[in-house]
Amino acid sequence: MNEHSRTRRFGRLRVRRLGLRARITLAFALGALVLSAILATTTFALTRRNLLDQRESLVLNQAYLNAAVVRNRLPGSDIESVQSLLPSLPVPGGSRPILHFQDRWFSLTAEIGPDAIPLQLRETVAKGHPARIRFSAKGKPALAVGIPIPAAGAEYFEIVELGDLQNTLDSLGISLLGASAFTTLAGAGIGWWVSRRALRPLADVSQAAEAIAGGRLDTRLEAVADRDLGTLAASFNEMAQALQDRIERDARFASDVSHELRSPLMTLSAAVNVLETRRDEMPERAQAALDLLAVEVGRFSQLVEDLLEISRYDAGAVRLELDEIRLAEFVMQAVSASDDGRTVPVELDSELAGVVAQADKRRLMRVIANLLDNARKYGDGATGVSLRRVEEGVQIAVEDEGPGVPEDERDVIFERFARGGGAGRRGSGEGVGLGLALVAEHVRLHGGRVWVEERLDGREGARFVIELPVLGT
Amino acid sequence: MGTRILTVEDDERIRTAVKMALEDEGWVVEEAETGEQALEAFSRQPSDVVLIDIMLPGLDGFEVCRRMRRTSDVPIVMVTARADTHDVVAGLEAGADDYLTKPFAPKELSARIRALMRRARKPDSGTTSMHFGDLEVIPDAGVVRRAGQELHLTKTEFRLLCELASSPGRVFSREVLLERVWGYGYFGDGRLVDVHVRRLRTKIEADPANPRHVATVRGLGYKLQG
Repeated sequence: MNEHSRTRRFGRLRVRRLGLRARITLAFALGALVLSAILATTTFALTRRNLLDQRESLVLNQAYLNAAVVRNRLPGSDIESVQSLLPSLPVPGGSRPILHFQDRWFSLTAEIGPDAIPLQLRETVAKGHPARIRFSAKGKPALAVGIPIPAAGAEYFEIVELGDLQNTLDSLGISLLGASAFTTLAGAGIGWWVSRRALRPLADVSQAAEAIAGGRLDTRLEAVADRDLGTLAASFNEMAQALQDRIERDARFASDVSHELRSPLMTLSAAVNVLETRRDEMPERAQAALDLLAVEVGRFSQLVEDLLEISRYDAGAVRLELDEIRLAEFVMQAVSASDDGRTVPVELDSELAGVVAQADKRRLMRVIANLLDNARKYGDGATGVSLRRVEEGVQIAVEDEGPGVPEDERDVIFERFARGGGAGRRGSGEGVGLGLALVAEHVRLHGGRVWVEERLDGREGARFVIELPVLGT
Repeated sequence: MGTRILTVEDDERIRTAVKMALEDEGWVVEEAETGEQALEAFSRQPSDVVLIDIMLPGLDGFEVCRRMRRTSDVPIVMVTARADTHDVVAGLEAGADDYLTKPFAPKELSARIRALMRRARKPDSGTTSMHFGDLEVIPDAGVVRRAGQELHLTKTEFRLLCELASSPGRVFSREVLLERVWGYGYFGDGRLVDVHVRRLRTKIEADPANPRHVATVRGLGYKLQG
């Protein structure tokens, strides 16, 4: 990639980062600014030229009239009468006549002499051409007109200050600037409003998409009359429908498969039962085979059960059957119910005695049973279960003395069909792989969290912790 | 002759395997393939316990259950492939006393049957007849009367009533009732109690929507009062 395209890409990225709404607003503001600037500039220029032209022609006309008067009255005049000639000339306000006659300069006041007239004008007039010039006198704009009067051997000048005109133009400029600023702001405002109106359907789409992502698969956009937006809404709804159908189909498939598997499992488990009753009558090899069969049928049943439960989660069809339960009592019952001959000690805080939680008994029971089961399979059995009151609720921890869970596997093991790395070392591949995933789903639905960490006492082993919100004591 | 169980199941392999396993448990098993066959067999010679699969061709399990309930208080266990709320509650409301989900262990079924066939608890005081307002309960005779009129309760409904009547006014938690009436431990399905209480109320209460005798104590359980 060369330097040029890289900068272009970055430039585009920066604009993009502004967001559509900011960009629309900006475009409207810029448009309004450019348009109003052009209008203002044109207005100003035209007005200025008009005003100046008007004033100039006024001044010129008057100057020519005055020059004619001077030409008629000057010949044969002495200095005295020339002096008195000037005040008698009608001049517009702010206009000062200057007469050059016989190398002498005459004006109404002493301070205005030939120096007040731009040299260029004097020279042009001296050559016998009438002229006018705009210049700046003492920082103020002024107009000078010079008319040669060859018949009288004189030159007539008039200097007009244009200060008043400049003031008018200044005010006009300020007004136009203000108007431009206002137009720009109004443009930005309209842009903001328009973009909000235009983007409102997008906000609806975004809300709907969020709702769908959050699991409310039946979310749809309302039909709108607008043709363009209607297409968007229609295709969004189609997409949502397709997604919902597909997810439901997948979930139903898993659910149907599980149900279909239950019938053969029923036959299998009853038949295994019949065989087990006669186990003593069997040869040794048949007994070993029967034991394998019995264990696998049990595992298979559990897997089907778990698969069905997971498919309910996928279909979004899980509704907790909430009861108010005393957590301490519940955990003790759950631990003793999953007892497989090795009693697991339960450690309780005394303040936990009356702590009540809203929970689905069956599912929370599964959570604890699955954690104990997990400890049995991968950690040589749970060494203890402890309950602790924390600020967020209650933490229930199951510890074992197995190899523990390496840090990089601590999230992965809660995924479906994931197994702790230790499973390979044990070589039995005994886990069904849905136990911890179900733990995570159940706990999440109860508004809690689950994680695995090192044992608190620093010994080797895993410590699975579930944290549940409680109602209080 | 031992306790006779009628199993209603359309899948022949399941029927055969379950029959063998139950016979190993010591029960006498009769089979029916459809709901119609089951009703006919039952009317010919009522069995002691009925095991009904919900998914049957023709008459479904719910309907078979409802029809048997018209004439009999026999303990009925529903077998469902779906533990979903709807099937279980619908089965219990159709009159089943308990339910099992496929695949169940035959030993589990035996435990259920034994629990359902237990006799009603006698009152602690040893009296034979108890009165709660217009309600009269005679545990030994298995009789309940309201305003002198005899009511037809199933065995399980009757045992539930007798449990509550054994200590009038005392609140029984769902766990305690599950344990005493159905033989379940701490983790039994509380819906069993709820649906049975509902059924009981429709029979013994003058206005089941506003029960006078069997009161719900929110968050704790149920109690019986006069």
